[in-house]
Amino acid sequence: MALIVIAEDEFLIADVLSIMLEEAGHEVEAAPHGLAALTLVKERRPELVITDFMMPLMTGLELAQAIREDDELSQIPIILVSGAQASIGRAHPEMFDAVLDKPYNEVRLLEAVDRVLDTKLAR
Amino acid sequence: MATQLLPRIISGVEGLDQILGGGFIEGASYIIQGQPGAGKTILSNQVAFANVVKGRRVLYVTLLAETHDRLFQVLGTLDFFDRSQLGMTISYVSVFQTLRDNGLSEVVSLVRKEIARQGATLLVFDGLLNARDRADSPLDVKTFVAEIQSQAAFVGCTVLFLTSTRLADDSPEHTMVDGVIELHEEVLGVRSVRRLQVKKSRGSPALGGLHQFEITSSGLVSYPRLEAVLQRPSAETDPEAGTVQTGVEGFDNLLGGGLPTGSVTLVFGPSGAGKTAVGLSFLARASKEEPALHFGFYETPARLRAKARALGVDIESRIEAGDLDTIWNPMTENLIDKLGHQLLQAVHQRKVKRLFIDGLGGFQRAAVHQPRMTEFLSALTNELRALGVTTLATWELRDLFGPTLTAPGSELSSLIDNLVMLRHIEAESRYIKALSILKVRDSAFDPAIHEISFGNTGIRIDVPLPPVVNAATGLATPLST
Repeated sequence: MALIVIAEDEFLIADVLSIMLEEAGHEVEAAPHGLAALTLVKERRPELVITDFMMPLMTGLELAQAIREDDELSQIPIILVSGAQASIGRAHPEMFDAVLDKPYNEVRLLEAVDRVLDTKLAR
Repeated sequence: MATQLLPRIISGVEGLDQILGGGFIEGASYIIQGQPGAGKTILSNQVAFANVVKGRRVLYVTLLAETHDRLFQVLGTLDFFDRSQLGMTISYVSVFQTLRDNGLSEVVSLVRKEIARQGATLLVFDGLLNARDRADSPLDVKTFVAEIQSQAAFVGCTVLFLTSTRLADDSPEHTMVDGVIELHEEVLGVRSVRRLQVKKSRGSPALGGLHQFEITSSGLVSYPRLEAVLQRPSAETDPEAGTVQTGVEGFDNLLGGGLPTGSVTLVFGPSGAGKTAVGLSFLARASKEEPALHFGFYETPARLRAKARALGVDIESRIEAGDLDTIWNPMTENLIDKLGHQLLQAVHQRKVKRLFIDGLGGFQRAAVHQPRMTEFLSALTNELRALGVTTLATWELRDLFGPTLTAPGSELSSLIDNLVMLRHIEAESRYIKALSILKVRDSAFDPAIHEISFGNTGIRIDVPLPPVVNAATGLATPLST
């Protein structure tokens, strides 16, 4: 069971995502935009970050870049969940450990979370 | 001397720039209000994508519970939506959590940073109502709106605030912004009609009143009220323009040479009296020099061709030559201004010189507000005259026979130049179709009633009616000697 930071500006999605992950046994910290998420990541050192793409102040891609450029954070896996920009995420495989399309699919998301966390443990 | 013209940004909504007096003013702020379903979201996204195409960057900020993904699904059904621009030149961000956790002032700060970060020159703020709920006093909303718009104006960014309440005209929000556009959908009788109104327009002479609009797969299409757009025709009329042949044998002689060029003729009479036959003969004279248009509400284009064939009038070759076009609007649910704009657009595009409108009743039935018919038809006929179009329009009399001659609207007669009456007349135990000219603009004409004869090569008007009295009523009696 892991600590997960989610970056999502849309509160309904953030709420549903939090509940989904908590019910799967994880601990969740949510941030309403990329910048707040980066602060949270620095403070809490989560085992996984799940981020949206289009957000105020810092996009999901910019968040991933900031995490990857920080030596202390760069190993944290990141999952991008996005509607229109999933392709942008897939064009940056070095940034994201998984890219999922919106709308959220609970089964696929939890599978991806488990897979990414397992890979991290194996490293 | 023209005063300074403010720089504009386009709305991308057909007709709306005209209503706004040239589009939205750059750096100004507007409230777009209307009930849920009125079309605010489609309108603002259409404006957004039209400006993305123009190379602008757009920030779309929401305070709504609805997810952006749901919004994109809906927008995906509309032609203007371009998914590939999402997150590139147009960004949708939600500030709901910021509002909930940190309040209005934090939202202002975030929006300011975001405008700068995105380099946005258009900001759409969807959900002003939620900001209102969050405010402790009206002053707070006023401050909020003022701050957002001044931040935006500072960087030349135009703002559209969307709200689903009908804010009072003296609400603090209204006093702050430069313009207010209200979208309505109303039920009139059994049909519903969408109309928009510019309730405030600072620094720009907008067209007042209610303008009809539709929501199609291309988004909103608005139809500025014709009498408001064309208060004066777009060109001067040429009073010495000569005559146009009617195409009906004998008719030109009665008219004193033909119809005055650029005049409007009303052909009225009961069903079956030959109105369409006269019109088809007129259209059959279409040529490269005088392109023609049939703008009808009754016959489908196929039925129209069949009718012309039966009359021995050749419109087929004119259609094939590209000199004659037909536009058919079934008399179902029409919008009068849409019809007017469609007609004038076709006239412009095809440089129409011969126009047959069959008939004016189609416009009248489409008017949801009957008292404006005179103003509407004045604008339409003035513009047709200015464009040098010779127009023949029909008006169907309700009664086949009888002494009641309902004039087609009391003022209508003053809108038209020439009046032609068709009647069924009973004479010697048979019905005769008869034509008489009541008025021709600035010209002498033959006032005698003539019989309309139907031959193999179209209709002719060359036989004067046998002497009868009361022919106008259709209840003629032979003149006793």
